[in-house]
Amino acid sequence: MELIIIFGSILLAAILCLSIKNRKSTEYISVIVSLVVFGESVIVSMEVARVGFYTLFHFFYVDALGAIAMLIIALVGLAATVYSVQYLREETTKQIIGFTRVRQYFVLLYLFLAAMFLAVTSGSPIFTWIAIEATTLSTAFLISFYNKPSALEAAWKYLIVNSIGLLLGFFGTLLYFTSLGAIGEGGIITWGVLLSNAVYLDPVIAKIAFIFVLIGYGTKMGLAPMHTWLPDAHGKAPAPISALLSGVLLNVAFIVVLRFKVITDASVGSGFSQKLFIAFGLLSIIVAALIVFTQKSYKRLLAYSSVENMGIVAIGFGFGGGGIFAAILHMMYHSLIKSALFLSSGTIFLKYSSTKIAKVRGVITALPITGVLFLVGLFAITGTPPFGIFLTKILILSAGIQKHLFASVVALLFMVILFVGFFKHAVAIMFGEKPSEIEIEKESAWLVVPPLMLVATALYISFYMPPFLNILITMVVSRF
Amino acid sequence: MITDINFFQVLLAGFFLTIVFLHIAKKNSTITILYAAQSCVVVLLLARSFFETGMISSLIITVLVLVVKVVLAPVFITRLVRRHKLKFLVSSYVNMPLSLVIVTALTAAAHSSFFMPLVTIVPANQQFLSLALSALFISLFLIVNRKGALSQIVGILSLENSIVVFALFAGLEQSLGLQIGILFDVFVWLIIANVFISMLYTHFGSLDVTEMKKLKD
Repeated sequence: MELIIIFGSILLAAILCLSIKNRKSTEYISVIVSLVVFGESVIVSMEVARVGFYTLFHFFYVDALGAIAMLIIALVGLAATVYSVQYLREETTKQIIGFTRVRQYFVLLYLFLAAMFLAVTSGSPIFTWIAIEATTLSTAFLISFYNKPSALEAAWKYLIVNSIGLLLGFFGTLLYFTSLGAIGEGGIITWGVLLSNAVYLDPVIAKIAFIFVLIGYGTKMGLAPMHTWLPDAHGKAPAPISALLSGVLLNVAFIVVLRFKVITDASVGSGFSQKLFIAFGLLSIIVAALIVFTQKSYKRLLAYSSVENMGIVAIGFGFGGGGIFAAILHMMYHSLIKSALFLSSGTIFLKYSSTKIAKVRGVITALPITGVLFLVGLFAITGTPPFGIFLTKILILSAGIQKHLFASVVALLFMVILFVGFFKHAVAIMFGEKPSEIEIEKESAWLVVPPLMLVATALYISFYMPPFLNILITMVVSRF
Repeated sequence: MITDINFFQVLLAGFFLTIVFLHIAKKNSTITILYAAQSCVVVLLLARSFFETGMISSLIITVLVLVVKVVLAPVFITRLVRRHKLKFLVSSYVNMPLSLVIVTALTAAAHSSFFMPLVTIVPANQQFLSLALSALFISLFLIVNRKGALSQIVGILSLENSIVVFALFAGLEQSLGLQIGILFDVFVWLIIANVFISMLYTHFGSLDVTEMKKLKD
């Protein structure tokens, strides 16, 4: 029932946003629906923590991994929707967009959210693929929302690179179905059926299939070297969409890869997928670290940080053992903090009308609350205590030191480089001389509360994990 | 699953050749025709599957593929070409002779022992699966080699066709609902790609992706 309410209310909101011509009504509907979706997602997650799974019509199946993903989508979705209301109002005041564009924005936002919910709740790998492809189609227009040549170019690159990636992922997905020939399964094939038939899967085909899946969905999750679309798309999209792309969509894609990892491991053992995770993860950290110093845009800086953090999560799963527990936590912390950072970057953009680091100085003076939030977010994302990311990085590296010393040392080295690079830019943005044309005004609560809520949640779960969430994480760890 | 060797040898050869000719084509109208022809082969393969099994779901999917890939997709592309007067294709990164060498190498790679486990999923269909895998690789090469946005679209559609053909010969067909879902996805993708092509042309005055230099690291 809860999933029906989630999908029903999202689709209803999209239809209402399309038909209602009153701005306030559109905004109220958006916020109310996001709250409903969040509430229902919490109920579903608690049910999964209690029983172990949540199912509907045999088609939807939510396990612990799916429940964690649902919580992330719902919470960041709520923050992004509330933030969008004021963000779009300010853009309308500046005459960047009109009300028609606002309506289009909310409709596309809801389609995007629905596709992500579908991807993590679908019981069928093929339907998951369709849902992931749907995220590409809905977000392509959101990335090109401002209709500028650079945004259009970013959206085209996103569309093409991800379409190729997802087709390769689709091919890999089909290869997993070869295991079913032995028992002649018909109808819709679920993740569970694929897993229970993994013993019939030819080990070589399993390896090839996983490579295709990792490259395919790895493109969507921004792993290097398939990450090339990510900084452009995240840099050009409206800030709340960047928050969802970076904080949520990357995780959704990774969760799909993890589902295939379980099946592959059942066929060929965990060593194969772990080696690939370490290789791609390490490369992602290195690429992000090498590029961070030359960045000219603070939004692209955040986007490269996402490449790094996806790399960290990947090596966490690659190292195995305690690294898996830490990687799941890291995924959650990263979602919350990175989304908060992107939302804060939107407020900075509204104030300075530029995403160029060179043009943004004295944020802490011009936007004191957002400035502090942005700075705290940067500290958190680079792994400074007391935020959980500090702990997860330590746990991941200590899990790797025993069996993968070289990879751990290289990862640590480039994490330090990233830390230094980030703070070089952060200091320039925060504490430089504020341009004279930038006036100091009271910050809108609607722009401050959503990122604040995300940072506060990240800080809270860094010290205290709610019992149901703890159970979900333990369930996920036990699967790997 | 498909097994009639002579009939399918001809069809698969035709399918493979359309992709090779996509690399050689100079005009946008030619690539549209080639894609339509390639999709016709897919329709014939699906139709054959219907005649063999007599399943109504096979018939439904055959008709839908015919409508979307053989009729609508070429119509969309042709309208784009006419609207923007895009008679000739944008060039490729690699010149023609070298492109053909790479196409040959990719075909050889698909037939190599490395991919043997993939093409022997159904041992009786090994040669068809090898050819479908070659088509997949060559379609990928088409996407990365062409500088034109329109060619990239056709390349992606061709890649999707290649995967469908591979799935047919490997006995990996999905249920009707899922096939419709996939086809709907392709259809929506096609519409969105069309809209983007028009927007790109309006902003850049060309469909040459190397002309897009607004994004700099």
